[in-house]
Amino acid sequence: MEGSLQAGILTAARRGKPAKPVCLACRIDALMMCYRDHQGPGFDAEFKNFTGPDPQGMSYFQFIDTLQSIADGVLFGATYSLLGIGFTLVFGVMHKINLSYAAASIGAAYASLIVLSVVKAPAIFIFLLAGLSGGIIGGVIYIVCFRFIPQANPLATLMSTVGALLLIDEIIVHATVGIPVPYPALFSDVIVNAGPFTLRGDLMFMFALGCLSMLLLLGLLYRTKLGIATRAVSQQPAAAQLCGISIPRVNGLTFVITGVVGGIAGAMIGAAIGVLSPLLSLPLTTKGLIVTVIGGLGSIPGAIIAGLLVGGFENLFQYFRGVTERDLYVMLLLFAFLVFRPGGIFSPAAGRD
Amino acid sequence: MDFYLGLAQIVGVHTLLGLSAYCVLLTGQVSLAQAGFFAIGAYVAAMLTVLAGWHILPAIVAASFVAGVVACAVGFPALRVKGLMLVVATLAFGEAVRLFFFNFDYQVARGEVKIGPAGGEGFRQIRFFPEHGWSTLDVLLFIWLFVALVMAALWWMDRSRAGAVLRAVGEDEVAAQSAGINVTAVKVAAMTVGGLIAGLGGGIFAHYTAHIEHAQFGVALATFAIAYPILGGLSSVFGTLIAVIFVQGFLIEGLRFLGDWRNLLFGGLILLAMNVRPRGLIDAATIAAIKRMRVRNREPGNARTEGAE
Amino acid sequence: MLELKGLSKHFGGVRAVDSLDLNVPQGEVFGLIGPNGSGKSTVVNLVCGLFPATAGQVLLRNEDITGLASHVRVARGVTRTFQNIRLFGQLSVWQNLWVAQNAVEHRSENFLRRWLGGPGRAREEIDRILEFSDLSGKRDELAGNLAFGEQRRLELARAIVAKPALLLLDEPAAGMNAEEIDQLDARIRKLKQDGLTVLLIEHHMELVMAVTDRIAVLNFGQKIAEGTPDEVQTNRLVQEAYLGVAEAA
Repeated sequence: MEGSLQAGILTAARRGKPAKPVCLACRIDALMMCYRDHQGPGFDAEFKNFTGPDPQGMSYFQFIDTLQSIADGVLFGATYSLLGIGFTLVFGVMHKINLSYAAASIGAAYASLIVLSVVKAPAIFIFLLAGLSGGIIGGVIYIVCFRFIPQANPLATLMSTVGALLLIDEIIVHATVGIPVPYPALFSDVIVNAGPFTLRGDLMFMFALGCLSMLLLLGLLYRTKLGIATRAVSQQPAAAQLCGISIPRVNGLTFVITGVVGGIAGAMIGAAIGVLSPLLSLPLTTKGLIVTVIGGLGSIPGAIIAGLLVGGFENLFQYFRGVTERDLYVMLLLFAFLVFRPGGIFSPAAGRD
Repeated sequence: MDFYLGLAQIVGVHTLLGLSAYCVLLTGQVSLAQAGFFAIGAYVAAMLTVLAGWHILPAIVAASFVAGVVACAVGFPALRVKGLMLVVATLAFGEAVRLFFFNFDYQVARGEVKIGPAGGEGFRQIRFFPEHGWSTLDVLLFIWLFVALVMAALWWMDRSRAGAVLRAVGEDEVAAQSAGINVTAVKVAAMTVGGLIAGLGGGIFAHYTAHIEHAQFGVALATFAIAYPILGGLSSVFGTLIAVIFVQGFLIEGLRFLGDWRNLLFGGLILLAMNVRPRGLIDAATIAAIKRMRVRNREPGNARTEGAE
Repeated sequence: MLELKGLSKHFGGVRAVDSLDLNVPQGEVFGLIGPNGSGKSTVVNLVCGLFPATAGQVLLRNEDITGLASHVRVARGVTRTFQNIRLFGQLSVWQNLWVAQNAVEHRSENFLRRWLGGPGRAREEIDRILEFSDLSGKRDELAGNLAFGEQRRLELARAIVAKPALLLLDEPAAGMNAEEIDQLDARIRKLKQDGLTVLLIEHHMELVMAVTDRIAVLNFGQKIAEGTPDEVQTNRLVQEAYLGVAEAA
């Protein structure tokens, strides 16, 4: 874990003020652990005296640092992309938002930890375990939040997902007594130096894993019968039913699939930060939804690109304005999209009435 | 006894929050921004009493007004964002407001002490009530006076044409537009009224908790705001009140019987409620049944039926 | 009363309505017929302002209303019914009519009384319309609980609450049985007697031939014939549009 943090310190050089190190936990939410005085679990005390880049070489370093930030952000953005895909897929098929999705993803990451400690397997299997747990949790959420509530009642399903979100969060808090739990960080000590840039091994691994997951998902959607059934239901549920497709089954399977994707995303986030905490779920929900909207509700390529975009911009904002203001600018980014491009990057083809 | 007074205070303030969401939800707009308006009301009212020395009454009225203006400004772009995207947009707005106050530093020196909002640490020492000798009971009555006023106003609106028009817009915008209703005006008006009520609630909230900080106005509060009217049913303001009493009573009082498990059961309870009664506790059918009971209980000599609602 | 000049609506490459010229004189019941997909419903949507026209003008009493929003057109005197019933299901019958009181006379009423007043003031007017539509007994019933025929009558009632000068009926007889169609016929005649102008989109040929004064026929968004019911019935173009051209033996 120490290695992950060491390699992952991002400097936020505020104009005129000395650089303040920001631990990666603050990546998700400035509140996470260390916005106040950089104290708290997971932060090495040695970095408290960090002074920042040399004032003379500031402009060149600043430029390199900016690019570095963006690059790191885009790599991390793969997690946002996966979360965005999950939200957007459920929206595309059922025209509903599953607000518990990010919490379920974190929950799956926790579950994978438990299973890993029982089954002594190499750490890399944790992603697989997280995916499986995510799938199971996804199926359960479908049954509990959507299966029995009339589809014509969007408020009720929305509220039920809120209930699920609260429930999952509380289960996590109960199980861990509210203390953040360390998560295996793979390849955290691998650092590739490309010229003035530093490419972190764990971020690159995460990005690769994210790309692999997206490819598998797209393959599932476009090359298998289940995928075609899913897309049919999303476009014309009545006609799909007449073709013999069972809507509850497709919906349920959609939840399971997005759950798997979410579980992997949760594991990726845990691995990148090095810890898991129940505090992660709300900020991730917000960011995931923002990614979904920017990408276009219902569009998977949109979610992918939007995730990377938000990841990169987030780091950029953090670099220039510090971690406490960062998320404010992310919101403004969303509003800019809503004003100029309300359909999102790829608004899906206009559907029915 | 003080414990129950405190509980009643919370119920009162949260009822105002819930009613602000009720107003907006009637028009079919699912808004997670009510917590943001609530926060604006809180900070404005607190700054007015603490930094400018105002009496609490004009302070919360002004706070309500400011929140209403912001809500009106939000209402227009909200029109362009359809359906579930509005949920995300309002969520982002609420978060933006919270983040704004997270970074908001405006301190004034009074003697040796600095008072005022201090960014991440929040706004402490909002001491209007203790400084003016208000007892817990006084504060409680003050809160519930406003709750009663707002509830009466909304109840009256529900019986009038305005209420029916709001619900018509919420049901089918196209049909409403074709029937001659100015849907834009109705939706923005509903959002504005929601903002006014939330601002009022926020202003009162700041004073009875005496210390506000950004974290209190996050996603959790925003979801609670819409949870109350949805759980209580959108057919009657009393539904929202009952939902608040139940939720807050359960969460706070439930500590005695359920201990740490009450939060766990809360989520589960919401799930159960939505599966069993998706339209909320008091839905249209319930109201119709209540009306039929009242008609049946009338004296036989009274030929005219209840006013049409 | 109503004049359409070169009205067009294109959806991408599809010309739903193509340069339509139409003149509906005041006080007439004017029929608009044509095979499925000929653009009839689109014409109604354009006249009442549901979406903007690609080109052309809509004139009401010689006033250009082409750019006006739907609710403003209602104040000007144009109302409509929907082909697939769009009532406010969770509101009562009474409330469905109450919210539709949006004629100029209604709007000029005192603001507070109009919006925050109780049901008392509007009672008389709405009761009259309920009686006209045979719904007096169902006044407090939720619109969603009504039988199909009753819903259709409510749909019509809602359209006349706003005291329109021009009433657009979009397939009002769809799904009705013979008795209900007779009642509909009687109601349309009564409305015409009261001075309303009616534009009737319909597939039920018997109703159209019986109740209309003149008919226009659309095919592929264009007007292919216009005239009295008799003239239109015997028009060969119309027959071809509906029945197709006979193959050369």
